Amino acid sequence: MPQSVLSIERITALLPAPIPDRAWDDLLFASKAEVVARDGDALTLSVTPDRLDLLSEGGLALYLAGVLGVAHGIPRAVRPGPGSPGLVFEVDPSVAPVRPAIAGALVRAPEGASLDVGTIDEAVRFQELIHATVGRDRRAASLGLYPWERVTPPIRYAAEPIRAVRFVPLGGDEELSGDAFFAAHPYASRFGALGRVGEDRCLVLRDRAGAILSLPPILNGRSAGEARPGDRSILIESTGRDERTVHESLGLLLVVFAARGWTIEPVGVERVGSPRDPGEAAIADRAIDLPSRLVREISGTSLPAPEIEQRLSRTRLAPRPIEGGWRVGIPPWRPDLMAPVDVAEDVVLAAALRPEDGIIPSSRTRGRLLPEIRFRRSVALDLLGLGFAAPHTPVLVSEESVARWGGARPIRLRNPVSAEFAYLRDRLLLSHLPVLAHNTRHGYPQRFAEVGPVVARDPAAESGGATRYHAGLAVAAETAGFAEVAALVDYLLRRHDVGSVREPFELAGMIAGRSARCRVAGEPVAEMGEIHPAILSSLGVPVPVAWAEVDLSALWPFVRRRDAP
Amino acid sequence: MSGASGGAPDPAAPAALSAPERAVLESLRSARDLPVEEEELAGRLGLGLDVVRGSLQRLRSKHLAVVDEESTTTRELTARGKAALDRGLPERRFLEALRRHGGSLTPDEAIAEGIADEERSAAIGILRRRGLLEDGLPFRIRSDAPEPGRQLPEEVVLEQVDSGEEAIDEAIATVLERRGLVRTLHRSVKRWSPSEEGRQLPLAAPGVSELGALTPTLLAAGEWKSRPFRAYDVRAPVPFVTGVRPNPYVAWLEEFEELLIGLGFEQAEGPLLETEFWNNDVLFMPQDHPARTIHDAFSVEDVAGRAPAADLLARVAAVHEGRAMPGDPAPIGPGWPGRYDAGVAARPILRSQTTAVSARCLALRPTPPFRRFSLDRNFRPDSVDAIHHLEFTQCEGIIGEEGLSLRHLIGVFRELAEGIGIRELKIRPSYFPFTEPSVEGYVRHPKLGWTEIFPGGVLRPEVTRPLGVEVPVIAWGIGVMRLAMVALGINDIRELFADDLVALRGGGS
Repeated sequence: MPQSVLSIERITALLPAPIPDRAWDDLLFASKAEVVARDGDALTLSVTPDRLDLLSEGGLALYLAGVLGVAHGIPRAVRPGPGSPGLVFEVDPSVAPVRPAIAGALVRAPEGASLDVGTIDEAVRFQELIHATVGRDRRAASLGLYPWERVTPPIRYAAEPIRAVRFVPLGGDEELSGDAFFAAHPYASRFGALGRVGEDRCLVLRDRAGAILSLPPILNGRSAGEARPGDRSILIESTGRDERTVHESLGLLLVVFAARGWTIEPVGVERVGSPRDPGEAAIADRAIDLPSRLVREISGTSLPAPEIEQRLSRTRLAPRPIEGGWRVGIPPWRPDLMAPVDVAEDVVLAAALRPEDGIIPSSRTRGRLLPEIRFRRSVALDLLGLGFAAPHTPVLVSEESVARWGGARPIRLRNPVSAEFAYLRDRLLLSHLPVLAHNTRHGYPQRFAEVGPVVARDPAAESGGATRYHAGLAVAAETAGFAEVAALVDYLLRRHDVGSVREPFELAGMIAGRSARCRVAGEPVAEMGEIHPAILSSLGVPVPVAWAEVDLSALWPFVRRRDAP
Repeated sequence: MSGASGGAPDPAAPAALSAPERAVLESLRSARDLPVEEEELAGRLGLGLDVVRGSLQRLRSKHLAVVDEESTTTRELTARGKAALDRGLPERRFLEALRRHGGSLTPDEAIAEGIADEERSAAIGILRRRGLLEDGLPFRIRSDAPEPGRQLPEEVVLEQVDSGEEAIDEAIATVLERRGLVRTLHRSVKRWSPSEEGRQLPLAAPGVSELGALTPTLLAAGEWKSRPFRAYDVRAPVPFVTGVRPNPYVAWLEEFEELLIGLGFEQAEGPLLETEFWNNDVLFMPQDHPARTIHDAFSVEDVAGRAPAADLLARVAAVHEGRAMPGDPAPIGPGWPGRYDAGVAARPILRSQTTAVSARCLALRPTPPFRRFSLDRNFRPDSVDAIHHLEFTQCEGIIGEEGLSLRHLIGVFRELAEGIGIRELKIRPSYFPFTEPSVEGYVRHPKLGWTEIFPGGVLRPEVTRPLGVEVPVIAWGIGVMRLAMVALGINDIRELFADDLVALRGGGS
């Protein structure tokens, strides 16, 4: 879950009254944010992945103001229109292969206000959070903030030769060549590949005066890319793989400024051969039509229309009645609201959900186990009745077990966490060898059995591997031998009225000439044998071990056929 | 466990009396001079000492005879000791030779006197330690030496040992033993009596052979009517037997299944190795969702999966891309950014959520109303410690019927909570890509306190409609391992994967 540390002081500065310490948990319980820790001014919150806006002080304050009833609807911050002259990105076709989408907004401080250190910190922290989440670590989208007063519009977005790049990277004092930057700068090491076009070019945002705003998505330049306290107009841009992700990233960051009354202007986008995009779609409110029927269906309650409107307003949306429902204005920092059902959820969750409102579905259905599961349970019970202890072992088995057994390699994980859990067992024996090793400190005889899943290669299966259920048993005793386990398999099959034929079959890990396979109607359903002394010796087992494994999935069709009416 | 009898019982002892045992026991019972030594018994019975000793040991293991064991230590002269007693100790003979030669003796004269090399060395050493001999050669008696005619202490002890005296100088006796003149004998004397059980044990009349095992032949012949049975030693050790019990965790899971069956749910299951399509895509999880990176699901080597049926794939691709499904007039929603990749859909991964099973259930288009549940294993890359395991069990349920709403989901939460004995419940908003609304049920667990336990919601139309399901479907899941740990009193999740056979037998081992 995304998590961040917020300043309580900066949140409450946007509210008419402070929130008592003890009230935070209750206030947020009905939200998609959760208090992880509170330490002085630091409020650590985690949120569900759809409500990143709540991880900025501005966004959380907007939400709380609605919950507390001191504000409603969308802050009227967007100033639509053509925007300032020259407020445009000129996009060169050279960016298309790697990062074609770009959008921007110009935010202006309200009268008498300007950028302060706290807002810069909040914006930068939230920007990084967006990079890590929506931006998929900058691969899908990234953001940049620039002091508009120190930018000479228009701004060109193009792939330029790296050798043509010279700039002072943000946070540095020394001018670097493009080659030097890509060779040594830590941000270039981390994100450089995302901003390179071929071997010798990189993405550059440059103003008309030639100043480099940034090398998207890597790092801003210092001269035109460093917002400072006192700045009153900030240009925000977002570049990325697709327009929608770029808009979502930009829209989320806007909440930091909208919550403080900054106005938002669109930034146009010009591309060769295309009409100019005024850029309003990136910052304007969207509208989703919410049918009143949908609210009723989802909530299970007939809420009065004023109640629905009030809930929508309190969640900082802008409802307008239309035929059969509402047209709901959605601010750009709520990309989670994609469809009517999402807006309906906001209505339903705007009021606390009470357990006593729960009702039981009216229909009655008959519960049951799947017949095949009943069959497997009965085999497990048979084995218990035969005196076999019942371990429960993981499906993932170790490299050591697979190597020790020495048979055909089962399916291996591409990204195992450890050698202990590296393969999917295709027979329970691979889990049961460690069971034998773990119990050498106990006396003998030992008898154990398990009914459990295995995963076998199967080209016919959709995933390339079939889940099958086996019954595996082992007898470790001075007198253990083939005859005993063969007799047990005979019993298990006979117990389910299935006749079988046993035939010699050499099996990995078994003593040659002392292993066999059982067939039912030609289908192999069981294997058995005496485990080779080399394996027993490596396990530290001092007595012979006889083993058998029945493929219950293979057996089931015969059992089912018998049970069929 | 050990036998109820004392001493050192022989586990291999027969449970009945053999003829020699019986004879020995009868002899003990009739003896007037108890306890009786083994040799005495052997003499009385005319049996070999070994036979008597073996019988006595077996009677003892059957608690029919008791023994008083006495250990004695005695010394006797060796052959050399006896010779020394006859001829005189070497040091005595050396002194006498000196006297014969006027108090001085050369080595050659000593040899001529018949004193062997080894005897001479020992004699010279002893006489010098006693202060009777000067240093250097020839050998001379010291002028201040005590009267040589007096008896040496070694000679006194040698005579005492020979005469069987017990009060002797132990230090000198030990020296003589080292010189090979004396040896120590340890002897154990066992004296036997019948135990109380041995006195009371009914014995068949002499000449009547007792029956051992009751065989079918004996039964058929009716021989048991004319011969007595040999009595068993019922306190003798018996073979070690252990029982088994159902695996506690598996039993707990089965109980949980019974709860759901009682609530009208039918069980379902699906493959552990899934495709990304069923694990993610069909659940409307965007293909570039952070949770779908290689670190959040296990992928496998050398296995090729395939995409589902083309029509289903087309419908799911359409909702992901925000297009209208084939045959539909309008999209369900705006979908996700980016192009849908059928190649990603075909990739095999280990199932990371049981919701994949629910999706497969829905794809079968069950007739409403329906309730399905799956209780099964899932896998996520995670560190393994006391509270995390990369193989975990989830329980997931879906209900589909006309008119279902969030209120029904909350009602189901209440039923489930009551089913596991919990009455306090609270609900808060949550988020899952495949449900809207999404909520989280918290219960006040008697041991865990307020605990997040029921994630759930109403499946999005982007999930149900491509699968052809036209009724609302509510879905919920439970992380059952934590509940199981509390119920079973386990503090370490790894203990749920139990393989200690003694613990699995349920103790008594």
